[in-house]
Amino acid sequence: MAESVAITSMAVASAYGHGCEALLQGVLSGKPAFGPVSRFDVSARRVGVAATMPGAPSLRSLLTEVIAEACDGEPPENLHLAIHGEPARDHFAGRLFPQARTYTSACVAASQAMADAAASIAHGFVSRAVVAAGYLVEPDQFALFDAGRALAVDEAVRPFSLGRKGILLGDGVAAIVLEAGSTTTREPLGWIRGWGRAGDAYHVVQPRPDGSGLARAISSALRRAGIGPAELGYVNAHGSGSPQSDAAEANALQLSRAGAAPVSSTKSLHGQSLEASALVELIATVLAMGEGQLPPTAGFLEPDPGCAVNLIVDEPLPAKPRYALSLNSAFGGANTALIVGAP
Amino acid sequence: MITLAEGRWPTSEGDTLPAVAGFVESTFSPLAAEVARRCLQSAEPIAETAVIIVSSTGDLATAQATARAVDGGIRPGPLLFFQAVPNAIAGYIAAKWDLRGPVVCLSPAEPDLAEGLAVADLLFLDGDAHQALIISVEQATSVGERDTARAVLVKGAV
Repeated sequence: MAESVAITSMAVASAYGHGCEALLQGVLSGKPAFGPVSRFDVSARRVGVAATMPGAPSLRSLLTEVIAEACDGEPPENLHLAIHGEPARDHFAGRLFPQARTYTSACVAASQAMADAAASIAHGFVSRAVVAAGYLVEPDQFALFDAGRALAVDEAVRPFSLGRKGILLGDGVAAIVLEAGSTTTREPLGWIRGWGRAGDAYHVVQPRPDGSGLARAISSALRRAGIGPAELGYVNAHGSGSPQSDAAEANALQLSRAGAAPVSSTKSLHGQSLEASALVELIATVLAMGEGQLPPTAGFLEPDPGCAVNLIVDEPLPAKPRYALSLNSAFGGANTALIVGAP
Repeated sequence: MITLAEGRWPTSEGDTLPAVAGFVESTFSPLAAEVARRCLQSAEPIAETAVIIVSSTGDLATAQATARAVDGGIRPGPLLFFQAVPNAIAGYIAAKWDLRGPVVCLSPAEPDLAEGLAVADLLFLDGDAHQALIISVEQATSVGERDTARAVLVKGAV
């Protein structure tokens, strides 16, 4: 029998501020954290907004701080780190955490790190692992996303809505401590009950339109959790707000028979934190389950017939789901599904 | 772990590197595609194969080209956006060879396949993949160095 995987500590910093409470209140407010970018010059860009913290914080410092906060004085052993590689501008400054296993798989980096950390505990290789991730909005990725016409020119993220125009970037730095359920002495904040990863084998950057790759990741996670799709009480979707990705994700939810669960995309609120986004979203999911309030999706205009999901809009939805699904997809057809169990 | 096939670049002083349509300015993605081809041409990869790219530097040339454009006040070309993460060439390889396992990218502290093998082992244990194509790409970082790349197709020990 596999070891159970408890979430015993979480720490996060986002455009809503530092701390879990700031993130929870931010996503439940339904008010997006996007605003004009002042951290660097965006005058030559098509889009000039992102969800950023004040000033120009250092990723190295903030990540160190958030990991220390989550670890509460204990060393970050078995550290699984998700970041955008070692930045070219900072190449000779040394690696952020040389001892970490570093995931650079774009928007699924943190969820893959989480799945592998959970698997390491479940299979009995380690009894404690730390998953950390960080992305702070900076000029190079901002310029690339702008040049690739991936940013929403109407300066709003509208997941699964008709009229959605694309994504917006956001700061996100987060850390989660996982421990074996049989040995932890801490009160679990939640459980990682299932995880699944699968590929599309379809395109360099586009998702497989039928969503079958993501559906296989969902099925794998459900199987590992030992539950059926009807037992899912909430889905924090990848919900990037891009036309193709949202449609493929809606198809994946239907294919895996998880389409009835209430869905929101917290990216519409805190933004897309690239390699770190999945961890920020997982923390938002755990916090929402604990609060009994599921976050709304911002930016909704009108239903898209190509995105048949049970979308939460306008107000938080009061609910106490036993299980929630957190989904992420990335360039290269990479897909992940994580299932959180209530404490 | 059982190695089923392997491919390397370069295999000689005069070894050449074919371009990959849509990938510009950097050898990183062409190197990954070429060693994958050399590895898989003599193998029979199954659909449940993961694609794992391992690189200590990542695509340094693409990152530096982006930084140069931004610093120079020039709009980066859209192709740089598409190749800005190693997932892109992993997706190209997965689509070309119909590899439907997970796509994972890792950046170990030193050039080495070990972390790729460790992640492959977890994927096998979890049943999310039955084979893994692990691709290591290391771009030259100083004058006189040469790019190197290697791919191995592995499966779990029975």
